[in-house]
Amino acid sequence: MSTKGTHIPEWLKVPFAGITPAPTQEKGQDLFPTGNWRFIRPVYRDKLPPCNNACGTNEKIQGYLDLVKRGKYLDAYALIKEDMPFPSVTGRVCYHPCEQACNRGQYDEAISIRAVERFLGDLGQSLPRDVVKPGKPNGKSVAVVGSGPAGHSAAYQLARLGYKVTILEKSPKAGGLNRGGIPDWVLPQDVLDREVQRLVELGITIKTNCEVGKDVTWDELKKNYDACVLAVGLTEPNSVRAEGENKEGVLYGLPFLRDIGMGTSKVKLGARVAVIGGGNTAIDCAREALRQGAVEVTMITVESDKQEMPCVAEDLHDMLEEGVELVHGRAMTAVLGNGKVEALQLYPAKFSGAINASPITINREAAAERFAVDNVIIAVGQHASLAWLPQEFKNERGTIRIDRFGRLGDTNFFAAGDIVQLGSGQPLMVVNAVGDGKRVAFNLDKVLKGEPLEPRKITVDVIMDLNRMNMTYFPHFPRVKQAMLNPKSRRTTQDEVIQAFTEEQALEEASRCFSCGTCNACDNCYLVCPEPCIARPARSNGLYKILVDYCKGCRVCIEECPTGCLEGVPELDFETGVVRMDTAFAISPGLHGRQAQELVNLASRPAKEI
Amino acid sequence: MIYTELTVWTRGIIMDKEGRDIVNSVSASARLEGKYAQAMENYVDNPDRTNAPTRKYCRVSDQVLENELTYENERPNIVVLVEETMVKGWDYMRGMPPGGTLVINTHYTPDYMIRFVPGAERLAQLVCVDAAKLADHKWLYYRLGQLGLDRLSTEGAAERSKAVAPDIAAPLIAAVVKSTGIVKRETIEPMIANKKAFQMAFDELHILPLKPVAA
Repeated sequence: MSTKGTHIPEWLKVPFAGITPAPTQEKGQDLFPTGNWRFIRPVYRDKLPPCNNACGTNEKIQGYLDLVKRGKYLDAYALIKEDMPFPSVTGRVCYHPCEQACNRGQYDEAISIRAVERFLGDLGQSLPRDVVKPGKPNGKSVAVVGSGPAGHSAAYQLARLGYKVTILEKSPKAGGLNRGGIPDWVLPQDVLDREVQRLVELGITIKTNCEVGKDVTWDELKKNYDACVLAVGLTEPNSVRAEGENKEGVLYGLPFLRDIGMGTSKVKLGARVAVIGGGNTAIDCAREALRQGAVEVTMITVESDKQEMPCVAEDLHDMLEEGVELVHGRAMTAVLGNGKVEALQLYPAKFSGAINASPITINREAAAERFAVDNVIIAVGQHASLAWLPQEFKNERGTIRIDRFGRLGDTNFFAAGDIVQLGSGQPLMVVNAVGDGKRVAFNLDKVLKGEPLEPRKITVDVIMDLNRMNMTYFPHFPRVKQAMLNPKSRRTTQDEVIQAFTEEQALEEASRCFSCGTCNACDNCYLVCPEPCIARPARSNGLYKILVDYCKGCRVCIEECPTGCLEGVPELDFETGVVRMDTAFAISPGLHGRQAQELVNLASRPAKEI
Repeated sequence: MIYTELTVWTRGIIMDKEGRDIVNSVSASARLEGKYAQAMENYVDNPDRTNAPTRKYCRVSDQVLENELTYENERPNIVVLVEETMVKGWDYMRGMPPGGTLVINTHYTPDYMIRFVPGAERLAQLVCVDAAKLADHKWLYYRLGQLGLDRLSTEGAAERSKAVAPDIAAPLIAAVVKSTGIVKRETIEPMIANKKAFQMAFDELHILPLKPVAA
């Protein structure tokens, strides 16, 4: 074989074969940088886990589960507190859209994210001081009207940004819907009290018994504060417009729960109670009625079966366990009785889907049923009470007119929570109100700083799909169940129904997380790389580095990445990153020359050094 | 003496046959046209490794080739890159006299690719042809993730198919012939198995004409 014409540089003539360092050794990869064999480059690119995307306030769920898995509970608590002021509350009451979205749900069972959140929230409650500190005071004051989930969240985020925040609450106790809409056996009052106390520790002033429109006017809000967040919620219960609805013994869902929550209830329920409605409030009312002394509780819904009811399936199951009866496909048309409720008149009914007319079609040709009861609780939704609001800011849905940043026109007033979300398609849930409060707080901050308002920028736009992950690494493992009180005993007490996780349970459950699309420093790429091309200064997310000069692009790390955060990107998308070789298998003179020079000097070095 | 040198840079195993088909068919056509021609592979490059770079050579002359035993093309007039990423990794332009031609199999445009070419001032034209697409080739590199090990397409290709240029070599040969005129289209076309891709490449070449300056 002739090598005539082959370019053999000086430095290649050094007889160093046999003593060249291996690729694992120092400078071993400089000798023959095979990076140009590659046409796909592995790149760490984190994607959005579906839980994080589904959460109303975009909690970094994968992040805190990973920290719990490593036993870093305080870090996990601090991470959750970035988006959520009261994990101990949502850990009990949230309808956990994250768990519905969880990729593990398609594999075996979804992670019990809510229970882990509650574990962290309770841990935070037991701390003598919170991990969150108020921001550096910026001298501006903000009023937050309402101390429900949205108001609580907005006040919390504003205090962290350095504002002097005053919460105006019309009830004698702060907490809003958290206190007035959620029964004690779901969320004990002392848990909420502690979370309200955390707000005070952040330097927030809470003025109770202070109703906007009565104790403080619109103009006073405008005058006394630099900005204002309206999070007044939906306070007035809807009626069903039935005949005789004003009779004694007819109760409305939200006021019924609110009076019990505030400790001002004077209601004495009879033995037979009917609840009208099929939503979450109706379920809470039915279960609360049992605890208030009712013996037979019946829930009457227009929906034709359980699946159609607009409620959380778990709560419905728990309610049925406690012995509440369900009657489907009936509408109440009249309350019968002489001054006091004695019976209800029911007709078969169904949803018609009409938008402008009544959405319920009642079949009046069928025979009316008489349903004997002592009390009826009507829980068919709420509406706002906005008499104090200037007309220009009201909209056709009976709520506050805002722009897409939650702002009222070009004023310094913002609105958040159910008061703006009603009819917008967003579920009216605690976590959604918290998210709304958070976003509005950040927008308010921008307005007061004079920065332009921009739609939220999404840094990670790909939501991770189960099919893009490597399931070989995840054995099937059942979900850890939260202990519950016995249905027979719990139906008459105010004790919390669902029990907390122990530390072991929380750890076990967090360990089931797939960490969808997000590097969790599992070291798998580091271990499977057939060439030592993945450097790891410390075992941590974001610290793995691909040595692109040597990586041949074999894709093993990409195929084997359990979470799917490694991606193959065409090499030509990068303008740099490959050592250009002189000939097909010869290295650039610079690298070889350096090495050759070292080898030439080898003879003069003491044996010990070599 | 004056002759035209053609060097093909390709990847070991997975695209080995493509490179071989290009040089063999060009030199065979040149001989049919009455020229002197030779083609050979470079085993110094150790082509029997997946993705490793390997070169194929071809020389065409109107006179007898004097240095038939010289192994490498020292001054290639035409360089073909069978895989686009090779544009970053080697000094394939070494020795090219001014007025040369570079042909790349890529879906990018010549305007994008020229930033990766070292010594591009010597080029008279930069030709880009999306051969993988034209030949509807199943190991289209950007579909590798879906195809897995199928990418080892031409491994054992000579045993499976004795046809010349059944795959991405056909559009690349068309690119070489159309842009340089090294041989006539009429002589080479009957040899090509994938006539459809050959024809399409003739119509769909991206040629970037450049003004060469002496290196």
